[in-house]
Amino acid sequence: MKPILDVKGLTRIHGTECPSCLDMTGPEHNTNVCPACGSVVAAANVSFSLQPGEILGIMGESGSGKSTVVKTLYFDQAPSRGSAIFRDDDQSHELFNLNGAEQRWLRNHRFGMVYQNPNLGLNFGISAGGNIAERLLMNDLNHYGDIRRRASELLTRTDVMVSRMDESPKQFSGGMQQRVQIAKALATRPPLLYLDEVTTGLDLSVQARILDLILEIQHELGTAMIVVTHDLGVIRLLASRTLVMKYGRVIESGLTDQILEDPQQAYTQQLVASTL
Amino acid sequence: MTAISETPILDVKGLAKQFSLHEQNEIVPSCSDVNMLAFPGQLAALLGPTGAGKSSVLKCIYRTYLPSEGTVHFQRADGEVVDLARISEQDMLQLRRSELGFVTQFLHCVPRRPAEEVVAEPLILRGMALADAVAQARELLRRLNVPERLWRLPPATFSGGEKQRVNLARGLIAKPRLLLLDEPTASLDKATTGQVIELLREFKQAGVAMVAIFHDPELVKALADTEYRLAPPQSLTHSTPAPEAMQS
Repeated sequence: MKPILDVKGLTRIHGTECPSCLDMTGPEHNTNVCPACGSVVAAANVSFSLQPGEILGIMGESGSGKSTVVKTLYFDQAPSRGSAIFRDDDQSHELFNLNGAEQRWLRNHRFGMVYQNPNLGLNFGISAGGNIAERLLMNDLNHYGDIRRRASELLTRTDVMVSRMDESPKQFSGGMQQRVQIAKALATRPPLLYLDEVTTGLDLSVQARILDLILEIQHELGTAMIVVTHDLGVIRLLASRTLVMKYGRVIESGLTDQILEDPQQAYTQQLVASTL
Repeated sequence: MTAISETPILDVKGLAKQFSLHEQNEIVPSCSDVNMLAFPGQLAALLGPTGAGKSSVLKCIYRTYLPSEGTVHFQRADGEVVDLARISEQDMLQLRRSELGFVTQFLHCVPRRPAEEVVAEPLILRGMALADAVAQARELLRRLNVPERLWRLPPATFSGGEKQRVNLARGLIAKPRLLLLDEPTASLDKATTGQVIELLREFKQAGVAMVAIFHDPELVKALADTEYRLAPPQSLTHSTPAPEAMQS
């Protein structure tokens, strides 16, 4: 089976960028700020592939560049260089060579994103149902009744009370907002879903229900996912393979059980030892 | 017993595992120079004192540990021989889904899911319909004496023995071609242990190859075709593995 996503050499540098940016940053230099020019190397030479239906974990502490990876793949940020090939049915798309309209089309139709901060993923100015309708409209579902029916289906699936679909998500609890985000992301049945710290900051019981939901979705729809988190419990539960990032670099990758039971790098050993 | 001349499904050569602990600046040897074979329809028992690295050998075969040295050749169902120490992560995941099984002493499973679905999961991952998979799971749970009232409950609150039965059922349900067993009967009563022996005998008859660690000499006697005795590895630095003599 061919990977649904092939990422090679993904690099994102904030700032002017000089020739020593990559040489003088990274785990061995204990910084991601270039001492020569002050640019921030958010991600450097990140490469990985993702199989259809697979869940890949990206783990690391804040500032490690893990969110940068999914944000560039979702076109929230442009990479400084690198390539990412997305295979969709018989077509291959080189994501960073597409024009803006093509990128928007993929983003609206084939990718889903759930942000840590619901503010980024939801429009609080319109109702929960409206948020989902927005995405359905972009997918040429135009009949009011059809949209409403599909929106209630999605909210039911993600355990949001349909009776509250006409309220603004602003009035919802944090866990409910995340579930509306998930419903919205799933509206188009995307083959690829990005989850950026989706359970961070939620109550444990709420976290558990969201994680259950994510697993159920993967079982039912076979959605491939990239799960970004600093929580080893989330990685253990969801991901079959894991990348560990530090200062913008992937320092270790492997099968999740191997990363957690036999970590090779000093940093990963510390991370595992401090959490288990 | 099957003829020994048959080709092995698993051929472990010169396997060694050391842990490099960066924080402590130490290298801890776990097992060294392990050579062993496993044949279809036979059970190879790993024997040796605690600290001899028996569990490490199983984890190296399953790639939960990265072997430090040696090869782990496995003959796939399609006849091709691959080195489990070196194949890609994707290939390893695929083999785990379709050909390898690992039953440990502890149940690691998705929480909050009914026991019968936990057991059925390996079949569902292979594409079987939920209802059929759960039906098979129930049959196996019954054979392993798990009370019917527990089947719909998540195993988190089960007793140690009940959890272990769920764990066994989950490991056995998909009938892997190579089954790794790490003290699968450690906290089971005699009747259930008897059921397990009977099940494993059926597995042998069906051609499943097994590598097992059994605490109980009775199980070794009842099931093992070959025995491999491991010695604690030579200490590489000043660190020493936990001395077994203290325990036994």
